Amino acid sequence: MNSVVEVRHLTKTYKTANALEDVSLSIEKDSIYGLLGRNGAGKTTLMSILTAQNFATSGDVEVFGEDPYENARVLSRMCFVRESQKYPDDSNAGHALANARLFFPHWDQDLAEELVDEFRLPLKTMTRKLSRGQQSAVGVIIGLASRAEITFFDEPYLGFDAVARQTFYDHLIADYAEHPRTIVLSSHLIDEVADLIENVIVIDRGRIIMDETTEEVRSRAVNVVGDADAINRLVAGREVIHRESLGRVASVTMLGQLSNADRELIADANLDLIPVSLQQLIVRSTQADDQPADDIEVRSLQS
Amino acid sequence: MTAAIDHSPHSPTSRPKNRTLGVVRLQFTNTQTFVWVPVLVLGGVWLITLTIYWIISASGVDGPMYSGGSQAPLWYFAVVGAQAMNLTFYFSQAMSLTRREFYLGSLLAAAMSAVGVSAVFVALGVIEQATGGYGMGGYFAYLPWVWEGGPLAAGIIYFVLTMLWFILGFWFAIVNKRFGALILTLSLIVIALVLLAGAARLSFEQAWGELWMWLADTQAIGLALWALGLTVIFAMGSYLTLRRLTT
Repeated sequence: MNSVVEVRHLTKTYKTANALEDVSLSIEKDSIYGLLGRNGAGKTTLMSILTAQNFATSGDVEVFGEDPYENARVLSRMCFVRESQKYPDDSNAGHALANARLFFPHWDQDLAEELVDEFRLPLKTMTRKLSRGQQSAVGVIIGLASRAEITFFDEPYLGFDAVARQTFYDHLIADYAEHPRTIVLSSHLIDEVADLIENVIVIDRGRIIMDETTEEVRSRAVNVVGDADAINRLVAGREVIHRESLGRVASVTMLGQLSNADRELIADANLDLIPVSLQQLIVRSTQADDQPADDIEVRSLQS
Repeated sequence: MTAAIDHSPHSPTSRPKNRTLGVVRLQFTNTQTFVWVPVLVLGGVWLITLTIYWIISASGVDGPMYSGGSQAPLWYFAVVGAQAMNLTFYFSQAMSLTRREFYLGSLLAAAMSAVGVSAVFVALGVIEQATGGYGMGGYFAYLPWVWEGGPLAAGIIYFVLTMLWFILGFWFAIVNKRFGALILTLSLIVIALVLLAGAARLSFEQAWGELWMWLADTQAIGLALWALGLTVIFAMGSYLTLRRLTT
C-alpha cells in the first residue's frame, strides 16, 4: 500500500483549547475513509490543515510526499468540500461550477451536469438565495465532479433530505468504482455511511481514538437476536454495549468474539447473528473515557 | 491502473501560471463589483458634474471650472479591493488555490480594471482639451496640474491612484479577516494619529510652505511615483498578512 497523506505528531492549539493533540495517521491511496467524531472533536481542523487552509501549531503534514502549504502542485490534486462553503456574493451556482471546471484538472463536465439535474439545482439563482440544501448540493457536485485524487467531504449534506443524501451516496460509490481515488468523508450519520467507508478514523477531543478498517472495527463485537433468556445466558459476564428488547425477543450487542461453545449455544437456542452497528461501537468508544454527565449526550453522533 | 494515475503527471510546471490567470476570471465573475458599479460611479459622477457645469455656465459665469468629483471612481476602488478579498478569498481556497495565486490573480484583475478606468479618464481628458471643456469650460478629467506631462503621464497618474486605493481596501479587508474589526479600527486610529503628528510637526516648525513648494516642484507625475512606491509597500504588506490567513 502507498499512503497519500502522512501526519506525524500534529498539534493545533487555539487560544483557549487544543483542537488537535499529537495526531499521527496515514491515509492510503484509493480508499474511502470515514472521519468520525462528535461536534468540535477536531475533524474540520484536521482537514483544513491537510489542505493548507489552516496551520499546525506543531508536527508534520505531508501530502503526496510534500508540504501542502502554498504548494500548487499538491493542492491542485485535492478538493475540500466544506460544511458551509462561502461563495462570492453576486455569483450563482453556474459561476461556481464554471470556475471549478477551470481549476480541477480531472473535472468531468458531464457528471456535473447530470448531478445538477438530479439535485434539481437552479444554476441562475444567486448563491445566497439558494436553500441550505441547494447550497450543499453546489459543494457536493464540485466534490464529485472534480475527481480530485484526494477529496475531503466535511459533513457535506447539511440541509439535504433523505433522497438527496442517498443520491450523494449512490454517486459517490458508483463514481469511486469507476475512478478510484482517496475520499475522506466526515459525518455524524455513522450508520448511513457505514456501508461506504472502508476505513474508520475516530477522533475525540483532538485525539485519534480509532484508526482501523471497518471490518476490524466490526469484528470487535457481535450482535445477537432472539429469545431473551437464551441471550442472557450467552452474554453473562460480557460487556454489553447495546440492548433492545421487545417482549421475549432481545437484540444485544456485546464486545468480544464468539467461542465454539458460544456458537453451539446460539445454534441450539435458535439465535440469529446480525451485523453490528458501527454507530453503536463508535458511540461507545467515544463515551468510554467521558465523564458520566456527557454520556447521555450522544445526539450529535446519532443524527 | 486507474484513470486518476493515468493523467496525474500532467505538466505540473504549467499549472501555477494558468491558475493565476484563472483567478482573474474568478474575480471578474463578480462583474457587478469589478465592472458595472465602477462604470455607474464614473458615468454618474461625470453626468452630475457636467450638469452642474451647465447650470453654472447657463447662469453666465465665465472661466474654466474644475471639480473634485472625478476622484470618486478612484476612491471606489477601495471598495472593489475589499470586495475582491471578502467575496472571493474563501471560494478561492475551496478551488484549491494557493494564497499566492489568489493574491497575484486579484492584483492582475485590479490592474486590468484600473487600466480601463485610466483609459476612460484619458479619453475624456483629450475630448475636454479638444472641445475647450465641452464648449463651456467645464473640466472633469482634464486637470492641468495632472496633465502637465501629457496624456500618457496623466494616464499613469490615474492608474497608480486607482491601484493605491484598491490595495488599501484589499489590505484592510485582509486585516479585518485575520485580526478582527477591533484591531482594524485600532490600526486606522493609529494611522490617523501618525498623520496628525506629521501635520503638527509641520505646523510647529512652520514648514507648510516648504511642503507646498516641494509638492509643486515634484509635480503630479513625481507624486504618482511616490504613490507607486506606497502602493508597492502596501501590496507587500497585504501579501504578508494574507500568507497566514486561515479560512
